[in-house]
Amino acid sequence: MRRLLVQLRAVVVKEARQTVRDRRMLFMLLVAPVFQLVMLGYAVNLDVDHVPTVVVDQDRTPTSREHLRGLLADGTLEETARADGVAEANRLLDAGEASVAVVIPRGFTRDLARGEPAPVQVLLDGSDPNRSNIAGAAASQYFQGAALDVVRGRLERLSAAMGRRVSFGTIDARPRIFYNPRLDSAIFMVPGVAVLVLILATTVVTAMGIAREREVGTLEQVLVTPISPGVLMAGKALPFVAVGLIDVTTALTVSAWVFDLPIRGSLAFLGVATLFYLMTTLGVGLFISTVSETQQQAFMGGVFFILPAILLSGIFTPISSMPAWMRALTWLNPVRYYIEILRAVLLKAAGPADLALQTGALFAYGLAIIGLASLRFRKRLR
Amino acid sequence: MNAPAAIEVRGLARAFGEVRAVDGVDFAIREGELYGLVGADGAGKTTTVRLLAGLLDPDGGEARVLGLDPRDPRVREQVGLMPQQYSLYGDLSVGENLHFFGRLFCIPRAEYRRRVDRLLAITRLGPFLDRRASALSGGMYKKLALAAALLHEPRVLLLDEPTNGVDPVSRRELWELLYEFVGEGMAVLVCTPYMDEAERCHRVGMMNAGRILDEGAPAELVARFPHETFTVEGGAGELDAAARARLHPVLEAAPEVVAASPAGPTLRVVVRRGAAGALAGRLAPLGARLAPTRPEFEDLYLARMAAGGAA
Repeated sequence: MRRLLVQLRAVVVKEARQTVRDRRMLFMLLVAPVFQLVMLGYAVNLDVDHVPTVVVDQDRTPTSREHLRGLLADGTLEETARADGVAEANRLLDAGEASVAVVIPRGFTRDLARGEPAPVQVLLDGSDPNRSNIAGAAASQYFQGAALDVVRGRLERLSAAMGRRVSFGTIDARPRIFYNPRLDSAIFMVPGVAVLVLILATTVVTAMGIAREREVGTLEQVLVTPISPGVLMAGKALPFVAVGLIDVTTALTVSAWVFDLPIRGSLAFLGVATLFYLMTTLGVGLFISTVSETQQQAFMGGVFFILPAILLSGIFTPISSMPAWMRALTWLNPVRYYIEILRAVLLKAAGPADLALQTGALFAYGLAIIGLASLRFRKRLR
Repeated sequence: MNAPAAIEVRGLARAFGEVRAVDGVDFAIREGELYGLVGADGAGKTTTVRLLAGLLDPDGGEARVLGLDPRDPRVREQVGLMPQQYSLYGDLSVGENLHFFGRLFCIPRAEYRRRVDRLLAITRLGPFLDRRASALSGGMYKKLALAAALLHEPRVLLLDEPTNGVDPVSRRELWELLYEFVGEGMAVLVCTPYMDEAERCHRVGMMNAGRILDEGAPAELVARFPHETFTVEGGAGELDAAARARLHPVLEAAPEVVAASPAGPTLRVVVRRGAAGALAGRLAPLGARLAPTRPEFEDLYLARMAAGGAA
């Protein structure tokens, strides 16, 4: 047992020394993640606003102008051009200078005053479905409200004329938003980006670590010593557990500061969950290194794991909207569990009891993959 | 000479795909013996060493190191390996490399100090303790690799081309170090492509295409040599370049010649015993004659190679 600790310490010290001496590596591990986090936190923004809109006001009355002002008021749509006719609006849509066109035809105010249907046309560029949905919904919502106001005004005038109160009851749904009341997508995305940065800094680096020793030839000298594969693996992974914990801590600090990310849950629990998560990402890295002959293979292996792991994690796209067979696949994905834990702890103050399944799954996954890597790693060269 | 065998190899074989790198090799090395495996690149020397170090699984036959399978973890404490290629950490210093491997062998600190001091003294690496391994010269690097392989005081030492890329002075120093350890009872296996080094070994195995063609003490092998060696000389003794170029194809084609090689300003030929007269007859019209000389180890090796490896 003492021997194991002596050997483990020797490998950890050696690995730490090499990492600290490699300035570029150190930068990649500790500084680059913070840059990536801040940049991606700003870039990966699912909020849709300032959609460029071309306005065609053929009615040119105070009423039509008032409606246009009202439509643009919440900032989802932004007037970037004004056109006289539908043809010109179409041209602007085709040219990509606007994504939405709102056409108020001549006679709009007159038709409203007569109590006749007053159509308004909204043209949408559907090439970005998410944006068109939101822009279309914003336009519909505004004009439905406006239509309701028109009906209400007419009923009130009617009831006054009849000298009798006409009640005006409608369905009134009022959504109330918990946890992220401003629906700020940075708060949702930033934990995801932190997870992503963490997996890049741990899986690929450990995958390449043993492959590098194999390629350079140092592994040969290590293999003829009495060290056991498990100790060698643990020694190579432990320094990167430290790197991972430092990365998560900086990521949360920077996110709280730059993106107002709330930290509502227990940091201690988050620390434990992060350790379990690191076991899985480092374990996968070690496993990849045991099946790779060269650093290049190890790197490709890392990418091969990371891409699906991220796409099937629910970071960018909700798991609930994936097809059933793909949803099933996500249960095999450690990233999924960690992102659920991270979001729940940060935003909802969830604790171990709420996240027992996810935490347990991460721990079991970590043990299994590290065990598999140790079994796979024989003290042979080929 | 009745010391027990430290290394015993019987019918050892290992193939990589279609290539039979080691193809039924037998030899034994006693404690206190320096055994040389001599052969060109691709002869199977490195694979043999890796099999003996437990780094590869054999396909056939067996190897015993101190009576145990080389893959047995208990053997590791007793075997030192100095691989052919760079095997130490270039970004760690001399001291850090030694310390790392010392810790992997769990050498107690006081004992470690004593051994490192001795190894640094005999390798004269002491002043370079803080230098990164990647910044060492070829000779110093090899001495460091040797020191790392000797730290745990192994009873068996495996050296794969230890003098490859080393200047002549360092080379001689390395051999002196080896004699010192062999004198203390260590069994040493050295792989080398150099004939002059083979002559420094107690016994030699000549290896080609995965097999050992011949084995014995260098002097014994030379004495058993079934051919005769001559230098080909011109009228004034030496041959000029034009004469050498003219003679070479004649020697290559002559059926009496087993092997021919340049030797300084003359040519060296291995001739079938009793056939020297016939060859002299061929060379006389070209203004060259044969002068008898003592066979050297290289002649044996070249003759073996020329014979196509048949024993």
